[in-house]
Amino acid sequence: MDDILTRYNYDAFVPEKFEPWMNFEASPKTGSMGLDSPLWNLDQTPTRLSEVWSQHDYTIVEFGSFT
Amino acid sequence: MNAIADNYAEQNIGAIFLYTHEAHPGENYPHLTSMEQKFRHARDLRDVLSVTRPILLDELDGTCHRAYGSMPNMTWIFARSGLIVYKSDWTDAHSVENAIQYFTQIPKRRRAGERLAPFHVERLDYRNQEREQFYKSLERNGPKAAAEFRKAFPSG
Repeated sequence: MDDILTRYNYDAFVPEKFEPWMNFEASPKTGSMGLDSPLWNLDQTPTRLSEVWSQHDYTIVEFGSFT
Repeated sequence: MNAIADNYAEQNIGAIFLYTHEAHPGENYPHLTSMEQKFRHARDLRDVLSVTRPILLDELDGTCHRAYGSMPNMTWIFARSGLIVYKSDWTDAHSVENAIQYFTQIPKRRRAGERLAPFHVERLDYRNQEREQFYKSLERNGPKAAAEFRKAFPSG
């Protein structure tokens, strides 16, 4: 497993491992175009974020996980 | 958030949950090492935590999550064109619903002949911390997750 996979999927909630990922201040600004990205449906078929946001007038995207 | 998705679906509002990485890995839900495991955890999010919105998965290396600042539970709202109209570093249903109620008026106002121009606004919203529920969720992840959070935030 390469370094970015290991660091992103950190194995412990300790500041030196989770704090580097708290980068909201550097994220895209409102009023700018969203960055497209490949995603997966739960049935394991591929899709893209642009396919998601283009289906409705507005689309709410909540980021998170089980934990 | 599920209720917002249900309540505004008829007003052409979409809503998804984008699965990222394990923020508080524990014995029951350890850090991710494969997409197979990520799909399994995402199915548990649907089946155990009853997330009824479509669940989509990011790549294992968090390509999408990292592009948007990689906060553990943030919410963004996109217009159909891909324009970013709302971003919040934490998810709060009241804040999201407030924004959606505003945005659903925009197409109606345009149809009514208003000439609208965008502008930026910053606002500090407030959320209920729901500490008891949060600690229960940490225990569900495994004792390690709860212990690590208490160590990282002793007064939390």
